This record gives sequence, structure tokens and C-alpha cells, in this order.
Amino acid sequence: MSDVAVKESGQERRGLFARFMPRDERVVFVAIIAAIFAILVLPPLVFLLKGAFTVTQNGETHFSAHRFAIVLAQRGIWTSAYNSFVFALGSALLALLIGGVNAWLVERTDTPFKPLAYLTTIISLGTPYVLYTSAWLLLLSRSGPINSWYRELTGETGVLINVYGLGGMILIEGLLWSPLVFLLLGSTLRNFNPDLEEAARMSGAGTWQTLRRITFRLSLPSVLALAMLVFIRTVEAFEVPALVGLPGRVHVLTTDIYEMMHRTMPPDIGSASTLSTLLLCIVAVLLWYYSRLTRNAERFATITGKNFRPNKIPLGKFRFLGGAVLVLNFLCLLILPMLILVWASLLPFYQTVRASAFKLLSFKHYGRIFESDRYLSLLGNTLLVAVVTATIVMVITAIAAWLSVRKIPGARMVDQLGTVPLVFPGIVLGVGVMQFFLATPIGIYGTIWIIVWAFLINYLPYGIRYSYAGMLQVHRELEEAAAVSGASPFLAFRRIVFPLLAPSLVAGWLFIFLLATRVLTLPVLLSGPSSQTMAVAMFDLWSNGQGPELAALGLLWSFAMTAVALIFYFFARRSGVGLYGQG
Amino acid sequence: MAICVFHRRSLLLVATLAAFAQPVLALDQAMIDAAKKEGQVTWYTTQIIDQFARPAAQAFEKKYGIKVNYVRANSNEVALRVLNEARAGKMQVDVFDGTGATASLKSEKIPAQWIPDSAKRLPKAYIDPEGYWVATNLYILTPGYNTELIKKGTEPKTFQDLLDPKYKGKIAWNSTASSSAGPGFVGVVLNSMGEEKGMAYLRELAKQNPSGLAVAARQVLDQVIAGEYAIALNIFNNHAVISAAKGAPVDWIPMNPALAVLSVISVTKEAPHPNAGRLLLEFLLSEDGQKIYRDADYLPVDPNVPPNDLALRPDGEKFKAIYKTPEEIDKEMPRWAEIFKSLFR
Repeated sequence: MSDVAVKESGQERRGLFARFMPRDERVVFVAIIAAIFAILVLPPLVFLLKGAFTVTQNGETHFSAHRFAIVLAQRGIWTSAYNSFVFALGSALLALLIGGVNAWLVERTDTPFKPLAYLTTIISLGTPYVLYTSAWLLLLSRSGPINSWYRELTGETGVLINVYGLGGMILIEGLLWSPLVFLLLGSTLRNFNPDLEEAARMSGAGTWQTLRRITFRLSLPSVLALAMLVFIRTVEAFEVPALVGLPGRVHVLTTDIYEMMHRTMPPDIGSASTLSTLLLCIVAVLLWYYSRLTRNAERFATITGKNFRPNKIPLGKFRFLGGAVLVLNFLCLLILPMLILVWASLLPFYQTVRASAFKLLSFKHYGRIFESDRYLSLLGNTLLVAVVTATIVMVITAIAAWLSVRKIPGARMVDQLGTVPLVFPGIVLGVGVMQFFLATPIGIYGTIWIIVWAFLINYLPYGIRYSYAGMLQVHRELEEAAAVSGASPFLAFRRIVFPLLAPSLVAGWLFIFLLATRVLTLPVLLSGPSSQTMAVAMFDLWSNGQGPELAALGLLWSFAMTAVALIFYFFARRSGVGLYGQG
Repeated sequence: MAICVFHRRSLLLVATLAAFAQPVLALDQAMIDAAKKEGQVTWYTTQIIDQFARPAAQAFEKKYGIKVNYVRANSNEVALRVLNEARAGKMQVDVFDGTGATASLKSEKIPAQWIPDSAKRLPKAYIDPEGYWVATNLYILTPGYNTELIKKGTEPKTFQDLLDPKYKGKIAWNSTASSSAGPGFVGVVLNSMGEEKGMAYLRELAKQNPSGLAVAARQVLDQVIAGEYAIALNIFNNHAVISAAKGAPVDWIPMNPALAVLSVISVTKEAPHPNAGRLLLEFLLSEDGQKIYRDADYLPVDPNVPPNDLALRPDGEKFKAIYKTPEEIDKEMPRWAEIFKSLFR
């Protein structure tokens, strides 16, 4: 009875206010989201700019662009910038290639061994970054199995592969990002409207031609969004350039920031901020260009009111070739790094794979981890931080992406504000957040909530990209239909858009959850005596030469996180958001 | 009671420190009681948790029943935290340690001018003349090498030996501005050879193409153990001993001169638990505390507690070292780092 009444009055209202009412309501959301983003992002941004544009002399701080002159005159700065560009471009292309091929095979063809691709992705996303990079280095380094076997077989004294250089950096960084590409592109391809492809085939186009002219073109905005994400993240990456680049004397901008920061005691945050500000400008230009590219994004919307279950292309005799690609990916991305980590975790100290080391193998490190009561208390803290962070980020960014894609006035700028944290080097962000809470009366310094806060800032851009990529595909006609039926914009969002976005949101939640459980820089700087997380323990092991114990802890941790991820998937699936798409 | 021996001298200290908001007492029963009343102490440390921080905290808790909250970070981050807390006037930390950072924090009057009674038996070199810090242990920085890649007995023994062309591309060091890194090595060379000869030597060394790694000295040594490089310069020599005891193919070289630096500890001026903080320092510098350093294979400063491996410590005859105080390192490091960058980057 009242239901009917509401509907009627809704229709009446719509009739009265025509198009203006829903717009206005959504503008309120824009304001709320803008406020949240501003509170999160602006303090560290102000801190960054203040560091870059001020100089302290004799205890007095005054405005100056002096630091920029110093930074730009630094020897080798342009070489570093060039290296950063090549590194980022190469890594983004490699990640897109590997992740894209896998995503297409899994989502749009009848290739066998599909679960392997998901297993690879989830486990590799759950593995601590520093551990994964080290695993690749262990495999490819001078003393690694590949090069030492090569020496034994050929009698040479050199190396077959020299990993310490731009090539090695691109290879490892590209591999590291390919699971992300797979997850994101997978959700795009899964929600594909098959009509256009069918139309192409009806008009006589072959599989390849359809793929090239329809599927690829339609995925273009998502692919570009992804390429941009990986590119920016790689420009900002530190681990791989530091561990792989520096030994081969390849410098990039982030390693320059690192070196500037470690030149004095306590660290010179000012100079590092200067270089970060320059990075910020570069990224801003990229984002502006990107927003022009995707201005007409709705042309690409493929989730419409019609049925959108995509069809799977039969590969015929190439079916097993597709399977081979997935198996190869599984071997290279998961099995080999995991095997070398297992090997490392069984040794008292690291040695390359060889017969004489077998007698040293033992499970001692695993025993030590299970005996220690410290890890159990860290586990609770870590899970709490990761769950809270991932949930808040995905909820906020889903709304932000919705407003942005629907072109609500101001939403685009809000979106870009949320992307700014991409350029904060971890330590600059950490110090910014630390100073913010030391300067304000909000008493969360030294608790786990300051870590959550820093993580929210850090992962906002990822949440936005995930939500945005998903949102691009939901055509506005669904909401228009809801509006015509009397639903308020927010109701339409909650009941229609949100469920349709769910696969992207789930993927993003998972990604942020896994990232938050393994990232080192922020917790190390911000954790207090009673708010330590697992990352802190891992960092201790890493910096104290306990590599084998770190490998053991890291492996146990990845498997625990994989289990958490699978449980999450199980619930997500039961609630109608399957791993393989709707239902 | 042994702790009463210092009682009279401590009265003077009590007088000088009377200006503090909370009463700070000397090491007598009253101080212990006050510390117990505070109940806990927060310690930002650079010491390795498994090897030192945890055993020390447990021993202290057992003896006094006062909880130790320790946070471990590298010296850069410890300095940052202490500095930021002090500037914001929200001091959380009572005790902090490190090698170089303390000197730079002195100018902001962050550490308290206070030396524990138990440290007063130590040689003068281990106590800051201005009274801001006291050393707890000694680090000796020397080269280390992989004994499978370089047979024992054929290892380079002098700076000149390092220039042998066969080591080209096989030497690694930490590239940050720290004493346990390339810049520290630059400092040793310049101090021992003089400016002109030293620079000439460093230019020759640059031709060996040493790899500057953005990781701590401990990890540089790990890469040498793994066989990635043959020689690591300016690593902590006790780390090589700790790893060799586990069977790792590694040893250190008593190359003359080594660089000797102090690990120093301070109580903060605005410490929230001033008595418990002071009690922790008294404990770490007591003979019992020094034995914890010894048992972890570190080099204690107490002359009565010799290290497990006596050879680690320069004897001044066969094995010499250049000793640098935190203040000297703080002052000279920027120049060493600049030279390092211009020659080895």
C-alpha cells in the first residue's frame, strides 16, 4: 500500500522537477566525497609542498624555490628521468601483454586450465612485494641457478643473463604487475556485451578481426586506464629500481629521492619533497591527457539493460596452445618463485641450488615461527588494518567513480584529487601523516588507526581505478530506468549500480586487502609499541640478514592470505558476485 | 647493597636535574620505586630484535617488573620519530639509541644531559663530554669476503690489494650516507692516507666498479654470502662471525685501519617515564647488561666484559682502527658522501 504511494509520489516528483532534482542530489554526494578526499589527501600534500618550497636557515623557515634549482642541476637527473620513463613504459607494456593475454584467454575463450590463472593471481598478489622481488632476483642473479647452471654446463665464467639493468628491471616489474592487469581486465572482458561481436561475425569477420576491431577497441578505455595506472605506479616504484637497478648503476627518479633522503641525518625530507613535487607535475600532465582520452567514455559502456553474458570463443585446434600459455604463466609467475623461496626457507643461510647444499636443509625456521608468540598478536593487528582499509576505500571510491563517470559537476576534479597520492613516496607520505597527527589533537598517533589512515591515502588511487574501470561499463540507461520508476539517485546507485559494480569492487577490495597486509614502508614508520603489524616483523627479518626466516614467514603468510582471499571469494560468490562473473 | 655505592655522587645529579617537571632520582631504592610506579618504558632502538632488543627487554622486565615497549627501526627512522615527537611536544619515547643521529638531535636539546651511574666506570671515550649520550657497544667496520670465491689465505689484506684487477666488479657496499657504507670507507681512506693520496687511491678504486647497493650493510654481507659478490666493504665484522658460526662461507678481514663507531644511547629530556628510562640505561650499562651484548656476539664497552671473539676488537698493534664519535661522523659525513657520489655513482 505505502509502496505504491511512494512510487506514485516519486513519479510525480520526477514529473515536476524534470531533470534537475537528481543532479542536485548527486552534487551533495560530490561535496561529501570531496570533503573526505580533501581531509585525507591535502595534509600530506601541503606537507610535501611546504617541504619543497621552503628553506630553513638558522631556525627560520622562509619561502624559496632554491631547492628546485639544486635538484635540477644535479648531475645525472635527466638520465634518471629518462630511465624512469623507459622503465615505466616497458613495465606497463609487458604487464598489459601478459595480463591481457591471460585475461582474454580465461574470460573469452574455452581454454583449459583456467583455475590456474586465478590461483597464480591470488597467490602472487598475497606474496609480500620485497619477497617476490627477491625471489626473482634469486632466480636470475649472477649466483642464481640459471647462471650457475649455465657456467657449469658451458665452462664459461660469465653470465647468461645479466639481470642488473633496465631490461631486468622491466622484466621483474612487468611480471609483478601482470596479476593486477589480469584481475582488472578480466572484470572488463567478463562484463562484455556480445552483441557487437556477434554483429561483426555475422558480417563475415573472422575471430582475429573481431578481436582486433571490436573486442580490443571496446576494452580500450579500460586498457588505457590500466596502462596509466601501471605506468604511474612504476614511475613511483622503489623496490625493483633499488634492488635490481642500483647494483647495475641504473638510476631512476625514485632512487634519486632515496639517496637524497639518506644523505643527512635526520633525513632531508625537503629535497625529497622537491623531487616528489616534480613527479607530481609529470603525473598531473599524464592524468590530464588521460581524462581527455576517456572524455567520451560512455560510448564504451557495454553493461546495458540487455543481457550481457559474453560468449566464449571456441579456439578449436589452438585450444591447447591457449592452455599452454596459462600453464607457462603459472610456472613462471608462481611455481618458480615459490620453489626458490621454499628452497631459501629451508637453508640456514642462503646458497644457490646445488647438491652440496642439500644436506643443510631443515625446517628450523618454520619451527621458530610457530614457537614465537609474537606473530600471533601481529596477525590480528594486520588483518584488522587491511580489512578496514580495503572496505572504506572501496565504498568511497565506488561512489566517487559513479559520480565521475556520470559527469556530475566537480566530480572529475574530486576523482583526480583522489589520484594524487600515487606520487607520494612512502616515506614522504608516512612523515606527512605523522606530522599531521602530532600537530592535531586527534590522538591516534602510535595506534593502529594512524596506519589505517595512511593506508587509506595510499590506496585511494587503486580503489578509484578499480571502481572507475568497472563504472565505465555500466550504461546510464539502467539508472534512468530506475529514475523513471521513481528511485532516488542514491537508491539507484545502491540497488542497481553497486551490485553491477560488485565484481570490480570485489577485485579492488581483494587487491587492497592483500597490498595492505604486505607493504612495509608505512607501518615501519608509523607503528607504535603496541600497534605493530606483520610487515614490521618482515622488515626486521629482511634488514637483519635473516633472509631464510623471512622466506619461511613470507611463504606461510602468503598461504594464510590466500586462504583468507578464498574465503572471501566463497562469500562473494554466495552473495551472487562470482569469481567468474555474475551468478 | 651495590647500588648504594654511587649514592653520594648521585645526590649532585639529583640537584642538577631538579628543574624537571617530574622528579628524577638517582639509582637508589627511591629511583627504582619511582620507575616501578611508572610501570613501563618506551625504547626506540636500532638493535636487532631477536639478537639483542628482546633478550635485553626480557632481562629488564624480569629484574624490575617494568614493561619495555620497544620499537625497532633503522637509525634514520628512529631519528625522524624522535625529532617529530619532540617538535610536536608529544614525546612518547623515553630511550633511544643509534650511531650518528644522536649528535644531530643534540642541537635541539632532545636528549637529556644525564649519564647513568653505572657508566662511570667506563673509559672516557665512551661518554659524551657534554653528557648527552653514553656508548653501549662498539661497531668495527671492516671488509668481509666469501670464502668459496676467495680461498682463505689469499684474501686481500691491504687497501692496495683491493685494487687487484681480479676483483673488478666483485666488490659491493652500501651506498647510503652512513658509516657502515661506501661513504664510511671514503672517510677511513681520507683519514688514514691523507687528502691527496687518499683521493688518488679512491680514484683507482672507482675503476674496480664497486656496486653500490641501497640496502643495509647486513644485507650487503648476505649477498656476499650468497655468492653475488666476492667482497663487501665496511660491514660490521661481528655479523661475519655470527653468520660463519651458522656455517656460512664468510669471513672478515682485519684490514688496517678499520672504522670504529659507537652505538650510543640517551634518555629523552621530555620522557614520559623518566625514571624507568633512566633505570633502563643503568641496567644496559651495568655488568649484567653488558653481558647481554656479549652473549649476542656484540662488542661491549665494559673493559671487564670482553667480547666472545677477542679478535673482533682492534688491539691497536696488529689490528688498528680509526675511532669516530657520533659528533665527528655527523660533521664529516656530508663531505664523505659527496666524494662518494662524485667518484662511485
